[in-house]
Amino acid sequence: MPHAHYLIVGASHAALSALHAIRLHDAEGEVTLLTRDDSLPYSPTVLPYVVSGRSDPGRVFLRDESYFAQHKVNYLRGAKVHKVNAGASAVELADGSSIGFDKLLLATGAAPVLPPVPGLAGLRFHVLRTLADALALREALPRVKRAVVLGGGLIGMHAAENLAKGGVQVSVVEMQAHVLAGYFDAQASGMIEKVFTANGVRLLLGASVAGFTPRGEGCRATLEDGAEIDADLLLVATGVAPVTDFLCGSGIETERGVLVDEHMRTNIANIWAAGDVAQARGFFTRERVINGILPDAVDQGRIAGMAMAEDPGTKDYAGGVPLNTYSFFGQHAVSVGVHESALEQSGVEVKKHSDEAQNRYLKIVLKDRRLAGIFGVNAAFDPGIMWELILRAIDLGEEKLAFLRSPQDTARALMSKNWR
Amino acid sequence: MSAILKPKSKLIVCDGNEAAAWAVSLADVDMVAVYPITPQSSLVEYLAKFIADGRLGAEIVDVEGEHSVLSVLQGACLAGARTYTASCGPGLAFMFEPYLRTPGLRLPLVMTIVTRDTLTPQSVWGGHQDAMSVREVGWVQMYCESVQEVLDTTIMAYRIAEHRDVMLPVNICHDGNYLSFGAARCELPDQGEVRDFLGAKDVNWHVALDPQRPMAVDPLTGGAGGPGPSTFVRYRKGQCSGMQNSLEVISEVHEDWGRRFGRYHAPLIESYRMEGADYAMITIGSMTGAAKDAVDEARARGEKVGLLKVKTYRPFPAQALADALAQVKAAGVVDRSVSFGWNCGPLFQDVIAAMYYAPRRIPAMSFIGGLAGADLTISHFERVIGRIKELARDGHAAETVWLNEKD
Amino acid sequence: MGAAYETIHFKAEACDGCNDCMSACAQAKTQTDEHLHSRIQIVPSGEGFELAICRQCGDPQCVLTCPAAALSKNAGSGVVDWDRTKCVNCLLCTVGCAYGGIAYDSVSSRVIKCDMCDGAPACVKACTTGALKHVTTARIYNEAGNLEDLFAPGLSGCQGCNTELIMRHALRRIGPDVVVATPPGCIPGMGSVGYNGLTGTKVPVFHPLLTNTASMLAGVRRQYKRSGRDVLAVALAGDGGTADVGFQSLSGAAERGEEMLYICVDNEGYMNTGMQRSGCTPYGAWTSTTPVGERAHGKTQDAKNLPLLMVMHNCAYVATASTAFMEDLYDKLDRAIQAAKTGFAYLHIYSPCTTGWRFASDQNIEVARKAVETNFVLLWEFNPEDGLQFTHPVENARPIDEYLEVLGKYRHLDRDQVAHIERSLAHNLARIRGFVAARGAASAAAGRS
Repeated sequence: MPHAHYLIVGASHAALSALHAIRLHDAEGEVTLLTRDDSLPYSPTVLPYVVSGRSDPGRVFLRDESYFAQHKVNYLRGAKVHKVNAGASAVELADGSSIGFDKLLLATGAAPVLPPVPGLAGLRFHVLRTLADALALREALPRVKRAVVLGGGLIGMHAAENLAKGGVQVSVVEMQAHVLAGYFDAQASGMIEKVFTANGVRLLLGASVAGFTPRGEGCRATLEDGAEIDADLLLVATGVAPVTDFLCGSGIETERGVLVDEHMRTNIANIWAAGDVAQARGFFTRERVINGILPDAVDQGRIAGMAMAEDPGTKDYAGGVPLNTYSFFGQHAVSVGVHESALEQSGVEVKKHSDEAQNRYLKIVLKDRRLAGIFGVNAAFDPGIMWELILRAIDLGEEKLAFLRSPQDTARALMSKNWR
Repeated sequence: MSAILKPKSKLIVCDGNEAAAWAVSLADVDMVAVYPITPQSSLVEYLAKFIADGRLGAEIVDVEGEHSVLSVLQGACLAGARTYTASCGPGLAFMFEPYLRTPGLRLPLVMTIVTRDTLTPQSVWGGHQDAMSVREVGWVQMYCESVQEVLDTTIMAYRIAEHRDVMLPVNICHDGNYLSFGAARCELPDQGEVRDFLGAKDVNWHVALDPQRPMAVDPLTGGAGGPGPSTFVRYRKGQCSGMQNSLEVISEVHEDWGRRFGRYHAPLIESYRMEGADYAMITIGSMTGAAKDAVDEARARGEKVGLLKVKTYRPFPAQALADALAQVKAAGVVDRSVSFGWNCGPLFQDVIAAMYYAPRRIPAMSFIGGLAGADLTISHFERVIGRIKELARDGHAAETVWLNEKD
Repeated sequence: MGAAYETIHFKAEACDGCNDCMSACAQAKTQTDEHLHSRIQIVPSGEGFELAICRQCGDPQCVLTCPAAALSKNAGSGVVDWDRTKCVNCLLCTVGCAYGGIAYDSVSSRVIKCDMCDGAPACVKACTTGALKHVTTARIYNEAGNLEDLFAPGLSGCQGCNTELIMRHALRRIGPDVVVATPPGCIPGMGSVGYNGLTGTKVPVFHPLLTNTASMLAGVRRQYKRSGRDVLAVALAGDGGTADVGFQSLSGAAERGEEMLYICVDNEGYMNTGMQRSGCTPYGAWTSTTPVGERAHGKTQDAKNLPLLMVMHNCAYVATASTAFMEDLYDKLDRAIQAAKTGFAYLHIYSPCTTGWRFASDQNIEVARKAVETNFVLLWEFNPEDGLQFTHPVENARPIDEYLEVLGKYRHLDRDQVAHIERSLAHNLARIRGFVAARGAASAAAGRS
């Protein structure tokens, strides 16, 4: 049975970040990286741009062969893990073979969740999680005149924008009252929605599909209010969830994701998990949550890698802070942290600023003179600095008013003074 | 000594300082470092002139003091140079620190001491006190009698110093005033023949500062425990062996010089009219000329007097001296310097120490003369001979006689 | 060995907020004066100014956070390169960067970041206050780091020894075609010439006497020159052997223009033999021969200004240096090595001594830095052509207390003694400034004639 000192399952941001951290501390320890894909590593986040043609599918790879050779990494493609045998410190692959490990990192990410809508199972529809999905969708586009996107999250909205730009008549069906509800409040989402509507995208909000029926190459969606939408193409983008079914019976504790401690270690001493598959503590809540965003996957991967390599510099995971960036039709929206609704109300201050004409919006949430959240549409601030301000819980003190008035410059000055 | 001029030799009239400079010129010296001091200064000036005229291909370094003279030469020698310098008196005292170190480094430096009395009283005149003060440091010391011997010995000194069984620095001592400035007939040997006589330069095969042969020169050693003390002893004993080996090498080299150039100088001790001698007078340096004249006159009167001239003083040719004195009834030693604490001359001390090897006790006494440039004449040596005869008669060693005290 | 890279250093206290750097950057990158486009952002902060710019991190998080492989660390230049053709405008890099180093430009609707202008940053050129500095120290690591350390590992210097640092750096740079003289003191004491027949150095090395380092080296160099070989003669000597008992041979060799590099490692006393006073020991300092007691309170005379004495010899090159300013030190080392091929080069390197000066062994570079920032030590260089000039002028010197208070050897100083030191430093500074001014006057006179 082949054996690796470090066995990493997955090849996206968390996995690559862990690999990087391991190699910073341990230049020689045997590393094997498994990916179910047949390609070099890529990011799921880039897939909408592959669909739109903005990204050349041949140039999206995060690492090349020479990187693996130079860093002495055994990169195995087409290796889907079927089962983890924690007791024997081995994983079993779909092809029946096994690989032993001293230390294992699960960075298998998440997979699309399909809603239990009648008729969906019998349809031809698209999802967007792998490069193959993206290429299939891209392939289908030229023949599409009308499309339905199920779900108004980031993937759905990206896809809707790209389809619209390609001349397709797009309808987005979202159960919640607003798009991107996880990140933006109603006002900000409303501004984003306005831009989509202005660009010809039909948004059906607070709506859900009662059932699908096949129709030629495409389908007909019947909404709960009875309305019907015909489409040549259906994209299901109702969210993703960690894939944990292959861990059943392994002894690794899971809830919604794989439960990990502050070093991304599971309940099994030589098994770690990071990225979209992991359920780790949140920054604002003591509970363990699925954060599921790229910068957090990088962070978690680094911590896991350092812990696996026994790097004495390993620090505890500070906790997941919700954050995201979103650019659409030449505009952009950024969210860092939490809204006031997620906080104990004492000591909370909220400042909002909006400029309808410029389609500009900014909301700052402070808790005890410390930044808790900042959200903007076409607003200028550095999300990375804001994230750090939150993590460091920096008391704005006398800078508070300046911060509320001019968050970008004030935060930059705070950065320059505090962690330059 | 042969009076016949060798075909390629040249005849000049010069003083001892110039003769030394000619010798340096003939010996293909690479590096000369100098600092002027009376009575050595003209020697330095001759060297500078020879170099300026292109007669001597050496590099001359006019340093800021005698301490640096020897330091520059040590460095140059460690980098492969054949070197030369000259000094005396206070200058020698000032260079004492690097002087002390040269034999331990086994560097074959050659240096003339144009002997001068040491301070104080203040004096710039000849006397052996400077050279005698450094007699135990580990340099080979040879004392010359004539201008010709200065030239010949200076050249021979390189072959002795650089001999692989020796590898020690050599002092050629010639008397300040009498030899330094006294002009005489002098044969200059042919440069090519001198080159053949000296052979290839080979000064730093054993210790070098050379990136092509990197080594540490003079790491720390000694101290109680570890390999230090025994390492130190090995170095010291090696130095002693080199010194003793030089007795034979000096003899060989003088013999070869005689064969090649027709001038046979006594290498260690010159015996003069010692056949059947009852009394022996022992001299060193330029005084020997007048002493020999006194011996000649005494022999003409029928007195059985002979003379022994010490050429090589360090290492001291003790056995040769003991053998030469074996048959005499008494001996007198004329020093041009003082051994403080013994109240006699240093050569006298060495002679009586050597006579320990003689089969019987020989009465001996010490004469000190020629200090601070004082002249030692035939009449001084007649007095010496007279006192030795008295000594032989009564057998009691008298107090040291100071020859110029009442001049 | 990994590479090190050049950076842009910001000295907040020197920035007056003129924003010329932002104008220069905007011009260089967009041919406009619009500060929004500037990759360097100066921001007001209370009374002063702060900076946001790409740090060109060694382990850049923006690169790890980019889903499109548009960002990469350039192994050659060290710059975090941005590939506009791969970038998808997702802005996740702006989340990954905690420095505001890559930011969204609302005009171009793209992210922008500093690319170091191919090694000649326009912002630094535009800065007239000295707030921005293009730090190229990395070249020392990149170049010298690959050179062989010509001393054996494990020399027995004291913990935190600055002298060992100087020795190793100097010899790496000088290379193997050298003869090294290390007169008695810490340098051979720590084993560079070895013990009992073993050596601590990979090149020819020797113990001169304490008194004759320069003379012995002169002989070595002259003989090699005579035999047509270019072998550098280098002294690594302490201040005692240089300034005191070795000064005659030093002065003679300098006057004669002997070709060598004489490095004086100044730890302000005879530290190897138990911390006795030397001619370079500063006023007020405790040493074992200027002890502190009821009636005596350290040395009662100022140190002699040895490098200035060497200037008066009109050496081919004279400079002072400090290990807290390695770039400066290396520049001087390079110039000194060159000068030593045709004349006498003298390098005076200040070397704080943890043992003899009584401070913690991890504070050496900090002490060296404070010495310079308080003007206790002045960094300058001289050659006969250009005269004397400062290489690291300190205009607003830190109070001398900041230097004195970290050193045990000054712990006993009273107010009068500190005042004396302040006066001496002022005189010394004025004297050196006089030389610098004289140089200016001389070149002006030359210009007129």
